[in-house]
Amino acid sequence: MNPDSSALEHTVGAVLVVGAGIGGMQAALDLANSGFKVYLADSGPAIGGTMAQLDKTFPTNDCAMCIMSPKLVETGRHRNVEIMTLAEIESISGRAGDFRVRLRRQPRFVDTAKCTGCGDCAAACPISRPDEFNAGLSQRKAVYKRYPQAIPNAYAIEKRGEAPCRDACPIGQRAMGYVALVRAGRFADAYRTILEDNPFPAVCGRVCNHRCEEACSRAAAGDGAVSIMRLKRFVSDWAAAHPDALPATGPASNLSPAGANGRVAVVGSGPAGLTCAAGLARLGHRVTVFEALPVAGGMMRVGIPAYRLPYAEVQRDVERVLALGVELRLNARVDDAAALLAPSGDFDAVFVAVGAHAGVRLRIPGHDLPDVLLATDFLRQVSLSDPGAAAGAAAGRPSIESRRVLVLGGGNVAIDAAMTAVRLGARWVGMSCLECRAKMPAHDWELRDAQEEGVALFPARTFKEITQQDGRVTGVYTVGIDFRGFVDGRPDFDELPGTEETIPCDTVIFAIGQRPDLSLLRGPAQSGGAGGNGRPVWHAATLAGALPGLFLGGDAVTGTSFVVDAIAAGHRAARSIAAYLQARGAGPAIWPPALAERTPAPVAVLSADEARAQVVSRSQAARAEPARRPAAERRRDFGEVEAGLSEAQAVEEAQRCLECGICSECLQCQYACRAGAIDHEQREQVVELNVGALILTPGLQTVRGDIRPEFGYGVYPNVVTSLEFERMLSASGPYAGQVQRPSDGAHPRKVAFIQCVGSRDLACGQDYCSSICCMYATKEALIAREHDAHIEPSVFYMDIRAFGKGFERYYQRAGDEQGVRYVRSMVSCVKQAPGSRALRVLYATPDGKSAEETFDMVVLSVGLAPAPGTRELAGRLGVSLNRFGFAESPTYAPAETNVPGIFVAGAFAAPKDIPETVIEASCAAAHASRLLAAARGTLTREPSYPPERDISREPPRVGVFVCHCGINIGGVVKVPEVVEYARGLPNVVYAENNLYTCSQDTQERIRQRIEEHGINRVVVASCTPRTHEPLFQDTIRQAGLNAHLFEMANIREQDSWVHRADPDVATAKARDLVTMAVAKAGRLRPLYSQSLDMDHRALVVGGGLAGLTAALAIAGQGFAVSLVEREDVLGGNLRHIYTALPATSLPLESNDSSRSAPQALLASLVERVSREPRIHVYLGAQVIGVAGYVGQYRTTIRFHDGRTEELGHGVAILATGAQPGTPHEYLYGQHPAVITQRELEERLAGPAQDRLELPGKIVMLQCAGSRDAEHPYCSRICCTQAIKNALALKERNAATQITVLYRDIRTYGFRELAYREARAAGVRFLEYSENDKPRVTPAPDGGLRVAVSLQPDGEQMTLDAGWLVLAAGIQPEPGNAALGQMFKVPLSEDGFFLEAHAKLRPLDFAADGLFLAGLAHSPRFIDETIAQANGAAIRAVTLLSRKQLQSAALIAAVNPRLCAACGICVETCPYSARVIDEEKGYARVLEALCQGCGACVAACPNGASYQRGFEFKQVFSMLEAAIG
Amino acid sequence: MSERPTEFSYYPGCSLHATGIEYDLSTRAVFGALGVTLVELKDWVCCGASSAHSAGAALAVDLPAINLALAQDAGHGDLLAPCAACFNRSKAADHALRTDPARRQAAESLIGFRYTGAVRVRNPLDVVVNDVGLEALAGHVRRPLAGLPVVAYYGCLLVRPPHLMEFDDPEHPRVMGRILEALGAGVREWSYAVDCCGGSASLARADIASRLVTDLAGHAREAGAAAIVTACPLCQMNLEMRQAKRPPMPVFYFTELMALAFGLPGTRAWFRKHLIDPRPALRAAGLPA
Repeated sequence: MNPDSSALEHTVGAVLVVGAGIGGMQAALDLANSGFKVYLADSGPAIGGTMAQLDKTFPTNDCAMCIMSPKLVETGRHRNVEIMTLAEIESISGRAGDFRVRLRRQPRFVDTAKCTGCGDCAAACPISRPDEFNAGLSQRKAVYKRYPQAIPNAYAIEKRGEAPCRDACPIGQRAMGYVALVRAGRFADAYRTILEDNPFPAVCGRVCNHRCEEACSRAAAGDGAVSIMRLKRFVSDWAAAHPDALPATGPASNLSPAGANGRVAVVGSGPAGLTCAAGLARLGHRVTVFEALPVAGGMMRVGIPAYRLPYAEVQRDVERVLALGVELRLNARVDDAAALLAPSGDFDAVFVAVGAHAGVRLRIPGHDLPDVLLATDFLRQVSLSDPGAAAGAAAGRPSIESRRVLVLGGGNVAIDAAMTAVRLGARWVGMSCLECRAKMPAHDWELRDAQEEGVALFPARTFKEITQQDGRVTGVYTVGIDFRGFVDGRPDFDELPGTEETIPCDTVIFAIGQRPDLSLLRGPAQSGGAGGNGRPVWHAATLAGALPGLFLGGDAVTGTSFVVDAIAAGHRAARSIAAYLQARGAGPAIWPPALAERTPAPVAVLSADEARAQVVSRSQAARAEPARRPAAERRRDFGEVEAGLSEAQAVEEAQRCLECGICSECLQCQYACRAGAIDHEQREQVVELNVGALILTPGLQTVRGDIRPEFGYGVYPNVVTSLEFERMLSASGPYAGQVQRPSDGAHPRKVAFIQCVGSRDLACGQDYCSSICCMYATKEALIAREHDAHIEPSVFYMDIRAFGKGFERYYQRAGDEQGVRYVRSMVSCVKQAPGSRALRVLYATPDGKSAEETFDMVVLSVGLAPAPGTRELAGRLGVSLNRFGFAESPTYAPAETNVPGIFVAGAFAAPKDIPETVIEASCAAAHASRLLAAARGTLTREPSYPPERDISREPPRVGVFVCHCGINIGGVVKVPEVVEYARGLPNVVYAENNLYTCSQDTQERIRQRIEEHGINRVVVASCTPRTHEPLFQDTIRQAGLNAHLFEMANIREQDSWVHRADPDVATAKARDLVTMAVAKAGRLRPLYSQSLDMDHRALVVGGGLAGLTAALAIAGQGFAVSLVEREDVLGGNLRHIYTALPATSLPLESNDSSRSAPQALLASLVERVSREPRIHVYLGAQVIGVAGYVGQYRTTIRFHDGRTEELGHGVAILATGAQPGTPHEYLYGQHPAVITQRELEERLAGPAQDRLELPGKIVMLQCAGSRDAEHPYCSRICCTQAIKNALALKERNAATQITVLYRDIRTYGFRELAYREARAAGVRFLEYSENDKPRVTPAPDGGLRVAVSLQPDGEQMTLDAGWLVLAAGIQPEPGNAALGQMFKVPLSEDGFFLEAHAKLRPLDFAADGLFLAGLAHSPRFIDETIAQANGAAIRAVTLLSRKQLQSAALIAAVNPRLCAACGICVETCPYSARVIDEEKGYARVLEALCQGCGACVAACPNGASYQRGFEFKQVFSMLEAAIG
Repeated sequence: MSERPTEFSYYPGCSLHATGIEYDLSTRAVFGALGVTLVELKDWVCCGASSAHSAGAALAVDLPAINLALAQDAGHGDLLAPCAACFNRSKAADHALRTDPARRQAAESLIGFRYTGAVRVRNPLDVVVNDVGLEALAGHVRRPLAGLPVVAYYGCLLVRPPHLMEFDDPEHPRVMGRILEALGAGVREWSYAVDCCGGSASLARADIASRLVTDLAGHAREAGAAAIVTACPLCQMNLEMRQAKRPPMPVFYFTELMALAFGLPGTRAWFRKHLIDPRPALRAAGLPA
């Protein structure tokens, strides 16, 4: 498939692995350890995939996380693996060997380089989300780490986008943020969040036009927007009532380092001016605000009547601004703004925000009469008079008591004027305007309020004249109109004849508009005056005016608008002025200033349907309405009309928020993060990578639990999916390992597992077998019983497919010994009992009757499907998928795809379990390594360290670094006390505390301290050494110290987390732990690993399919191979395999499989091996002796003729195959009609196939050499083999009657389709029991009679058989034991070779440098063997590609004086790293092989064995320090 | 949202003119109250639900096609078929005409019409929830059925096969429960809403039907219900006729309960036609009976 790498013009030594589950990690590590740079991309925020979610693994019941965690850490720390989270492929170009890939990376909003994973942010976050890691059974925060051990060890923030409320707000107020905090009852925090964007919460909580509420998704859901403005008022009122509860610091986001020291004048103390002043003051500038009036606040103070906005509320907000150090000069009118600017004036910049305080009069007759007022003047006069005085009594207040007042205008100001007139005691108040009632600019509620207070409305009228008598107003002469709106600022209407009317009144107030007084812009400040229309020069984006340093904003330039728009202008002015001052400080003034705009975030708009769906899970309450004073009462005074929301109302109202954005952007995480890692401004980015190959391991998803709705998932709470149950079992899961019913938390007794939900089910389009469910259900049943022995699990199944290595024993034990009940039955439906919510499972009994049984819980064993998004991924890459959406590999080319250079592995290729995934991942890595062999080592980095300091003559000088870990440790343990204590300990020359000892800057600090203080031993008191020790060791090595002069005290997991409630106890324990660590540190000695030379040749033992494939794979990656085959020909068992499954039964879209492929495959392999110069084949040779160890093996082989030869090699792969079983029952060997499947295949497809005469009736008998007492394992291939041959027989003669006698049909994966095809072709499948095996007797006609007791009901049947074909199974090679002894590798109970770890090291032996593949490992198919062989090859190459090997440093050693050479250690050592040195008379450690497990140290009766780094005196010193 | 239809062609089928006449009367009454006019098809024929499909696949489509042709000509909008069996058969036939051109041509030439697809076959449950709306429905309730605990029973024909019926969730349907909740009834959760009552075997294998029905009534009782509510005349009759345990559980048509909650006249007369007198259950719930 792959082009020869030498033919490529350019090969890139980097690989992109897509999907970072266990398969992705394995591929990444294999490649990174073979000399390639690896980019490991995952769509999620952390690597680990599905395996991280699993509790235990079958068949060893290992904890999934425990066995995976080291891989996570290794991947996370590998210098040649670059992890790219939240990434997905956008496009690809180029060709195999040289691809360019564009990756789209979603923002994480957390800087992984700074985040230490302490979790303080999550504690501060007010947003809860279903925790997908716990299958939605628990909640996490919007800022989260996928799971505790996640790599990268960093949080991420989940956002759907910017909430619509924030998007709609001119100042980007984080409305969802403070709403979320109100819901959490965190009012002080909410206040801080509001102040982040808005210095005027008291004002905007009352008089804002709240565009946020128009945008609110809750409004889209149909039951009224969240009352956002009133929640703001509630928070402001709460803050006013609780001044001591407020956070000491102001908003964090604007704070910048000192150094800004511009002088800025702000003219006008309205919302624009003060916002600008506040923003600049926070940055460190000196700001002076000039206000012409005697009060601050501008229109907020003198334009809005007190009954809507009490003066005290304005003052409260103004004072908070002044508290930032802003100087306010009242009664200080500025006549010439330019004069304020340096050099003539005192200021570097001036912001003119004088508002629009001048009223406008309509020039109609009578407009200048004394009783004709302007609304702005009127309102200002009222507000400047004593608000407490009785109506009409205050000085300077217009006297309109008992008068008839007509307000001209229909906007908010007109309403304010009218209602103020009411309160001042007017006898009658009316309003008249151009607009009709429905189109009046004032809000509808305002008009209703006014009418309630008795204001009369005269809409849709034009004013012709103010009538008078003796200079006194008598009324306004008006005409009714048909008003169509304003055109170019002029009203457009027709007068309606006959509608003339004089509205009688004695006072008229114009409220038809306002304009600014900009007389202060004179001379150069106005130059270039924009066409002479009197409007100032003004740059809308930067607010720059006509002169450098002059800025204009607010109503003064934009015309009257809302408070929030003025605040927006103030923010913009502050940013612009700051940018101007900063640029000016660095060089000549740029005018207008360069202002960087914030990149807008996508808006999280919910559709009405989505919004309605969200409402379901939240408060159903209607929108809260605050109490209002009745009209009759409120019209008498200026007291505030509307009461605030009560605390209970506010919290309930906040619960109505639908959290559109997910993250509320409240910034509490940012406040909490002491590492400064949060960055809400991160945006999606696209990166381009240049890689030679891609490996796709996007993993799996489980099918939805409701794929079979009759089982009630999603309807009955106690029906859960297997993944949910997995999380329930997990100690780190939502129930902390307690098995509980979701409905009531009760401990279930009877638990039913229903198999094949979404598997083997044509009806729901899932007609393949998901391969793993039988085993995981068995495991979950066993583990559930382990957690709670009262649990009685029942598994309802069709066939139990325990086909993998060790699976059959596991299954048998579960059923026979461990109380798991297996019921072969198809479940028809599940019903729920009312009340108890117990579940009734209806199923067919063996005798064909329907049965009902009640369970406390039902677990659905849901099948597997490719991960979401893989179809799109494959589409973008051009990778072919089969009809189920799994990646399609060519026959006998596992891990390859139709696109050269793109490989696949894991569940994306077919449903499979962990070891098969790991094997395939290694196989894919091998393909990539072979393709890119020419570029090996070109892009990888090696570490470089300074020379080590010789400390042998120095006394111990210990430095202690104690970590706060944010508040993780520091919130409990009194860290400064511990530091102080450490300073007094022996040998300690320096101690300090760090906020995060693991942060990058602290590493630099530690290096500096080591130098400054001559430290030669380092103790870090922080968290677990498992994840962090390598980091600190690297740091001190960078500082010239041996990495082992380091000791860690775990004061987090073992202390602060345990004793959270008792800081004193925790602090005392921390002192003890540090004391122990310091004591040991004083006795630490430098340790060194040994460098071992590497023999870059491999030995492959066995010339069958596995051996041939492995040899070719290693040679293809550039290394020499010796291939040793016992027989005189290559090929092994493959020589006897003639046919593959028919292509028609596979789900392939492309059809390239040929029935004779196995022999073609063999021929091709042999031919390629013969052509490969790097492979040397030794035929007819057997291994007779092995010496040496990894890197330096010497193996002796002997040929048939007795000749021997010694082969040197650095690594070896054992691929010695297995043997076909030889039945010794069912008359095999006694009757000519009894044959094996292999013999049948030979007859059908072998050389003599043409002379074959088929009998009419054939019986196939399965498990004739598997799954019995003698062979307690499943041979895995026989079911498929029988079906393959049955189909071949049917193809020859469809009339042939074929009966397959079986126990379970184990056609896992897509082989299930062949099983269905065989049934469709008329092959009969009858079940028999192992306890009542079929009886075979010769028949008179030369054939056989097979008497069988049919399962499950025991019906007796006798079958005639022309042939009886036995599935003889696979048996281990008898020579394994001898070979195993030579290589010192173990065998499994069944006699196959035993890998290092069943799950995660399926191709390695425990001993370094030895690998295995093929049938020597366990029975398997051709494609699986090929994957194993390739995988074993790259495992070998990870060693072969190194120049030298480093032995471990923390290994055992022997004190020869104490050693008695008793040999116990030699027996104990699992790595064969011990020998007795006969000459010297003591035991020796083979350092290259020792893994430092410590078993020998424990075993040694004399105490002669010791562990470096854990020497007796070191450990005793710790104990003495502890009990001291 | 499209304009709410005010008129339907109405196909009562044989049952609603005979054993299920109270379903017919109550349907007409409540739709009248909701302002929806039902115009009975003129010269409608048997839809063949009970036997045509076993007599011949063509007949099973052709018979309902005649009614569809009549409804198309009548032009009173969609065809409302209250009987679950009629609904099922007519909808299946409509599906065949809609998706199978050969089948359509055969029916067209046999009957002499041109199928336009303009008329859809509808069930009153669907119309009440999706066209009338639960809010409007609740607005008509004068006498909430508070205190009447019921279970909603759909049987097999209303919801299955799902790709033909396009009617709610085939395993856990909700429409009738939502209607009954809007009427104020205490709708009990139960798992047997779509289990077979054995109606089709009621005559041939009364023993089977009796067992199924008795089980269903038992489950309804277990769920705390005082009555079963259905939308199928076959189910209603079978459920009332074959219960083997005493006291028997009464079975309402949902339209009867709508009429009762609306305060419409005539309910008493319908209840008298039931094989199991439902009035004690109503009285126990404090409702007029």
